[in-house]
Amino acid sequence: MAADVHKKKSWEVPNGSLAPGDGQHAERSESPTPGLAQGTEPGAGQEGAMFVHTRSYEDLTSPEDGAAVARSPEERRGEPAEQSSMEQISKDFSELSTQLTGIALDLEEEMRPGKEGKLEPSPQTNRRDSVLSGKEEEDVTMDAWRMHRKHVFVLSEAGKPVYSRYGSEEALSSTMGVMMALVSFLEAEKNAIRSIHADGYKVVFVRRSPLVLVAVARTQQSEQEIAHELLYIYYQILSLLTWTQLNHIFQQKQNYDLRRLLAGSERITDNLLDLMAHDPSFLMGAVRCLPLAASVRDAVSSSLQQAKAKSLVFSILLSGNQLVSLVRKKDQFLHPIDLHLLFNLISSSSSFREGEAWTPICLPKFNSSGFFHAHISYLEQEMDLCLLLVSTDREDFFTVSDCKRRFQERLRRRGVHHALQEALRTPFYSVAQVGIPDLRHFIYKSKSSGLFTSPEIEAPYVQEEEKERLLGLYQYLHSRAHNSSRPLKNIYFTGPRENLLAWVTNAFELYVCYSPLGTKAGAINAVNKLMKWIRKEEDRLFILTPQTY
Amino acid sequence: MASAAGAAGQEKQLAPTLLSFFIYNPKLGPKEGEEEKKILFYHPNEVEKNEKIRNVGLCEAIVQFTRTFSPTKPAKSLHTQKNRQFFHEPEENFWMVMVVRNPIIEKHKDGKPVYEYQEEELLDKVYSSVLQQCYSMYKLFNGTFLRAMEDGGVKVLKERLEKFFHRYLQTLHLQSCDLLDVFCGISFFPLDKMTYLKIQSFINRMEESLSIVKYTAFLYNDQLIWSGLEQDDMRILYKYLTTSLFPRHMEPELAGRDSPIRAEMPGNLQHYGRFLTGPLNLNDPETKCRFPKIFVNTDDTYEELHLIVYKAMSAAVCFMIDASIPPTLEFCRKLDSIVGPQLTVLASDICEQYNINKRISGAEKEPQFKFIYFNHMNLAEKSTIHMRKTPSVSLASVHPDLMKILGDINSDFSRVDEDEEIIVKAMSDYWVVGKKSDQRELYVILNQKNVNLIEVNEEVKKLCATQFNNIFFLD
Amino acid sequence: MSREPPGAAEEEAPGAAAGAAAAAAAAGGGGGEGEGEGRARGGAEGGGCYLALCARPVHFEKANPVNCVFFDEANKQVFAVRSGGATGVVVKGLEDRNPISFRMEDKGEVKCIKFSLGNKILAVQRTLKSVDFLNFIPDSPQLEYTQECKTKNANILGFCWTSSTEIVFITDQGIEFYQVLPEKRSLKLLKNQSINVNWYMYCPESSVILLSTTVLGNVLQPFYFKSGTMSKLSKFEIELPAAPKSSKLSLSERDIAMATIYGQLYVLYLRHHSRTSNSTGAEVVLYHLPREGSCKKTHILKLNRTGKFALNVVDNLVVVHHQDTETSVIFDIKLKGEFDGSTTIHHFVLPPRSIQPYQIPVAGPASVTSQAPVPCKLYSSSWIVFQPDIIISASEGYLWSLQVKLEPVVNLLLDKGKLMDFLLQRKECKMVILSVCSQMLSEPERGSLSVIATVFDKLNHEYKKYLEAEQSYTMVVETGLSRSNPLLKRPVRTQAVIDQSDMYTHVLSVFTEKKEAPHKFTIAVLMEYIRSLNQFQIAVQHYLYELVIKTLVQHNLFYMLHQFLQYHVLSDSKPLACLLLSLESIYPPAHQLSLDMLKRLSTANDEIVEVLLSKHQVLAALRFIRGIGGHDSISARKFLDAAKQAEDEMLFYTIFRFFEQRNQRLRGNPSFTPGEHCEEHVTFFKQVFGEQALMKPTTF
Repeated sequence: MAADVHKKKSWEVPNGSLAPGDGQHAERSESPTPGLAQGTEPGAGQEGAMFVHTRSYEDLTSPEDGAAVARSPEERRGEPAEQSSMEQISKDFSELSTQLTGIALDLEEEMRPGKEGKLEPSPQTNRRDSVLSGKEEEDVTMDAWRMHRKHVFVLSEAGKPVYSRYGSEEALSSTMGVMMALVSFLEAEKNAIRSIHADGYKVVFVRRSPLVLVAVARTQQSEQEIAHELLYIYYQILSLLTWTQLNHIFQQKQNYDLRRLLAGSERITDNLLDLMAHDPSFLMGAVRCLPLAASVRDAVSSSLQQAKAKSLVFSILLSGNQLVSLVRKKDQFLHPIDLHLLFNLISSSSSFREGEAWTPICLPKFNSSGFFHAHISYLEQEMDLCLLLVSTDREDFFTVSDCKRRFQERLRRRGVHHALQEALRTPFYSVAQVGIPDLRHFIYKSKSSGLFTSPEIEAPYVQEEEKERLLGLYQYLHSRAHNSSRPLKNIYFTGPRENLLAWVTNAFELYVCYSPLGTKAGAINAVNKLMKWIRKEEDRLFILTPQTY
Repeated sequence: MASAAGAAGQEKQLAPTLLSFFIYNPKLGPKEGEEEKKILFYHPNEVEKNEKIRNVGLCEAIVQFTRTFSPTKPAKSLHTQKNRQFFHEPEENFWMVMVVRNPIIEKHKDGKPVYEYQEEELLDKVYSSVLQQCYSMYKLFNGTFLRAMEDGGVKVLKERLEKFFHRYLQTLHLQSCDLLDVFCGISFFPLDKMTYLKIQSFINRMEESLSIVKYTAFLYNDQLIWSGLEQDDMRILYKYLTTSLFPRHMEPELAGRDSPIRAEMPGNLQHYGRFLTGPLNLNDPETKCRFPKIFVNTDDTYEELHLIVYKAMSAAVCFMIDASIPPTLEFCRKLDSIVGPQLTVLASDICEQYNINKRISGAEKEPQFKFIYFNHMNLAEKSTIHMRKTPSVSLASVHPDLMKILGDINSDFSRVDEDEEIIVKAMSDYWVVGKKSDQRELYVILNQKNVNLIEVNEEVKKLCATQFNNIFFLD
Repeated sequence: MSREPPGAAEEEAPGAAAGAAAAAAAAGGGGGEGEGEGRARGGAEGGGCYLALCARPVHFEKANPVNCVFFDEANKQVFAVRSGGATGVVVKGLEDRNPISFRMEDKGEVKCIKFSLGNKILAVQRTLKSVDFLNFIPDSPQLEYTQECKTKNANILGFCWTSSTEIVFITDQGIEFYQVLPEKRSLKLLKNQSINVNWYMYCPESSVILLSTTVLGNVLQPFYFKSGTMSKLSKFEIELPAAPKSSKLSLSERDIAMATIYGQLYVLYLRHHSRTSNSTGAEVVLYHLPREGSCKKTHILKLNRTGKFALNVVDNLVVVHHQDTETSVIFDIKLKGEFDGSTTIHHFVLPPRSIQPYQIPVAGPASVTSQAPVPCKLYSSSWIVFQPDIIISASEGYLWSLQVKLEPVVNLLLDKGKLMDFLLQRKECKMVILSVCSQMLSEPERGSLSVIATVFDKLNHEYKKYLEAEQSYTMVVETGLSRSNPLLKRPVRTQAVIDQSDMYTHVLSVFTEKKEAPHKFTIAVLMEYIRSLNQFQIAVQHYLYELVIKTLVQHNLFYMLHQFLQYHVLSDSKPLACLLLSLESIYPPAHQLSLDMLKRLSTANDEIVEVLLSKHQVLAALRFIRGIGGHDSISARKFLDAAKQAEDEMLFYTIFRFFEQRNQRLRGNPSFTPGEHCEEHVTFFKQVFGEQALMKPTTF
């Protein structure tokens, strides 16, 4: 993690916040109303966070940059740091060999029809039963294809297609060829392509050697946000291959067709993209907790904590895409992105519902060069409660499986099982509970804990597109507030359908949606009232006491 | 980032600069090896042929590439680490491209310079507007590209482009472009009804007695009062007058712009009138009566006109006459004798009235805010942020970052055409307000720092009450 | 006959039976009128005669040895006295159509005969010493009573009635002012003044008597009479052309006339051309004779000719007839002349023209008037001219009043500015002025803008004067000060007042309709008129603006329109705002312009809301109302309807919520009352957002 912090510094300045280096911290502390210092805001964990502390997604872009277009000087300076962190990690998990052979083995396993309900193996089957079945046939010259809100393409430096969200890679190979041509044309000039802008859409390029990721978006998102999503896709791929392996493959064979390796993983990527279009977690770079009485949560957490094993690094209990509890090895921190990838992995496959899955997975933000092994299972069929145990030892399946048993055992003994069931029946709370008539929705993020809370999206946002539009508005506020060269402290937006407020301090971020007939005075009162309410409810909405083994 | 530059001593900011500017038509050199034929103009010209071809090629590729996603709406701009490229297709298959280098921060890490490109500093809307104005300005004085092709093929077009842009590009001040370039608005001179009517009847009489005059425009203090031209033509003509022609002819006898010194009329001269275009000395029979030609209504009637600009004190009149009738010296003398005296009187009337109105409204002291106002309906523009326009730049009196925030808000507005209001607090604790109400846009920067949203709102209300109480501005 | 016509004595009287003649006057009068009009037009087309004899003259039995004819300037009556009255006296006036006729016994030759004002008392002078009186009651003969003049061996030159019962004798030795007591059948001397008199002259409308005194007769002594009082005004001297050689009377009464011009009394002196003085010709010298103060020489009217002249004053114009050339000229002392420090020299306004040819109606009943009418000899030496506007032909037995025709003037006076100055002073000017205006706007004689401007300015100057008078009058009335000054009266609106509606209906709307002129010109003219009105601070009526807008719209000159509105040249009004709204379909910005206007009117908030709602801008409307604090009183249904029509569910939700909260705030319950008739909207809301989306009554 030292690497991370180090990186952050080197990245603040070029990203153009007004003050160089950590100055930004100071800047933000003087927030409009006597702001809370970080760690004291509502939802701040009492004994440090369980996550790598992410201020905003800028630092996303750092770790792999050594591997990326290593041209801008500060990136070059990055590399040795990257190495050091690698060494440290590999020391921690010496047994996790990063030798090619090992990986190759893993790969074969993945490819083979999975025992214990692994990822769907064959490319043929997987796409068909995936959400967007039949898209292979989609004609890439049709307007319907063009009009998709967001295209995503992944290709290799040889211009070979790796992934396309819509339309078959084959049909698009020529287009991707052009994309690669553009990229390399500019690189030939010691330059780097970032994006193309036209009326109504943007084309955003992200370069992560040996891959190129391209998005064509008709959304209102900023270039940075789209790049952010592309990086998620990149990490998604890493989580399946590891960075080390990815590079190795292309070092071996420049025009290797990566789809052979990734076959079957497309729908995970598809799912991730769909998820990002609905779930603010990715935008916030934070995790949402299942609202739960503190006593119940503590019971669950300690049960989880007690059900430990030597090889366990993280034990995670989640419901839907909400976190119920997380226990980690001492001084091992999980990055929200890695957790999001886990959420996505689980939500993208129904197969985990039956039995127990044992699958290798790379947590790129934690360590992009090696695999962990995840034990994934649902506690009970009908109950949407998924347990995820991350181990460093791929031989340890049975030990870990036993941990699960012990955990359930303890739960039952502590008798919180029922309460848990109750909580699961209402996984979201209504904004009406806050009791502010003009208040429609909000997102509150505690920076120190990396957790956020947000009520259910209710009327008038009933239609799907309205829900997406609302998220779009949050994206808009977020991108303005976090604009890399002109960040903002406050935004108040009076619009035709709603009024919005954004308030970013060094401790928290708050995004509020009001009725368009609300007044500014009303908005301010609402914010104060809301903050009080969150403070009042924080032990239900957040995990205040994260556990370690 | 300029702030950072100011703060850290050893840092040096390098302003954005024009890397290249070229115009091409893909249809002109379709075959392999003929690519050079496509290029109609290229700046800087020194660039060696193959690089020219390469860069044009890239633009073509980008445009083609985007057509796969939107056949009708191809790329407008390309962002790269080091620069931005702006594409504009003013006439079918004629592409104009402007490449601007991102600003650079030059730092010194242990002796050797380190360069950082600031990729988020340039605002697309601003520079695309600049590019579009390049075309409008060319068209004003040369007509359309197509017309040049009809007149004499590629050769003529190339000559005209060379002749025009060679000079024009030097007048671009990319580092000082901002929101005003997006609006490219017209500043109107505030005037009471009666004086305005006087001017009206003056213009009508002049057009009657100088029958060959087709259109007339009237300005005072570099601000428009009347335009017989259509809006879009006036818009660019106004830009030419105020940023190029007028600054070159500063009034010698004017100390304070608003208070002409009624000095004794020199010699037997009965008025202050003089030609800004055309003959310098009417008494010299040899003097040339050549006036710049301009082209208006190019998309329907396509009229070619002589532009006569005649000025007395702070009042300037543009007479536009059909290009088929070359104005003779006699005509100029006649014009001088008719217009000169009347315009001189009118000018001092306007000045008087203006001062009276000023006195009435009361000289308000430095207000708590600075603002920019623009109305898309009549292109009316008003800015208390910008200093008086110097030869071709108007300098903003606020921090560049704030100006850029204005630009951001403006582009947020252009996403939907509905009434919106955006109030933001910058890192520097300045409040910036953007207000859009039925085709009108108002941007306010509040000088006082330690205020809250509600106080800001009050300030803006006050501003609207004092400055815009005569228009329907939704609150 | 009190005054000899120039050469009347030599005039041979053409023979016509008195009865027949009388009949002609009666019968032919009617026919003659039509004829006259016909000629009038003919004349205008021809030489452009701007003077004419009235169509209905007074016809009387012409003078002959047995029939003496007298004219009384005071009552404008002609007396035909046959054989000393024994065979009858016939009295006809211009005004009264049916003649008075009576008999009186012949007591010798009648020197002078006049009715008192109101025809109650008849005064007859038969001798040089006395005047006989008779209380006149139609068809009942009365006894006369006589009054001798007081002054011993003085001769009565004549007498004149100054009121219904007051009479002045003028003798060669002075004047005697009497009151007649009809019932006592006697007179009472009120005042007398002895002074040597050569001749006298009476001006009834100002009841001033002018006496010529001294040997040369050029010292004139005016007296002013008013209800039983006689006041002596300061005397003055008429400067004669050249110092007379002999000391004989050298100022003839023929060369003097009195008349009120523009409300002031003037003594007009016809100064003949004298070889000695190097004057180019004869001239008329005007002496201003004020009630108080001394009489001053003020104007000189240059005639540039010599010979026999006669003066009239018509419609405040001095008309000078010239017998030799049989033409007349007119002068207007209000028009600019050359001022030499003491007097103003004027030249005649129009080129000399003869009086319009005149046909004498043929005698006989209407049925048999077959033969062509006889042209009347104009400027005949038998003409006698009386002030102000009377011309009598004793030989033919006609009395006319002289008239000025304005139509011909238009073509004779090419300087439009001067023409306006001239016309604006005339009684019957309105239609002529309007026609001049239309004429100068249309081919072939279209005027230049500067000319048009001057004309507009002159008209509006007059218009403004009237408006101000009106205003100050109403002010006084409202403030109740009217009682304090009783002589204040509502200002009369003369024909010279051409207001905006006149201009609009008769000139501008027609002009713009025709569309013959280039639109540039059309607009320029309209703006010029508006400019002029503004210059005189006259509030412009909206229909003029509408005219401008229509014209601009017809030619798609929207940008011009926009600029005009931008500078508030077209002042705000609801009608204008509505007109703009109607333009939105062809010119979208009109919507904004219209809203701005309504906003400025500040009395049009309801309209603003309507406009916004019509555009489905429900939010904007609601925000606006809230801005002006009216949101608690508005109808929920109205806004919900609008929101529903907008087919925007988000919008509907917002509006619905707003009113739920209003209900909560006002009534402590979010639900709508039946009175608000929002049931259908509630249902709609439920079906879109679900029952649970309804606002719950807030408990905290």
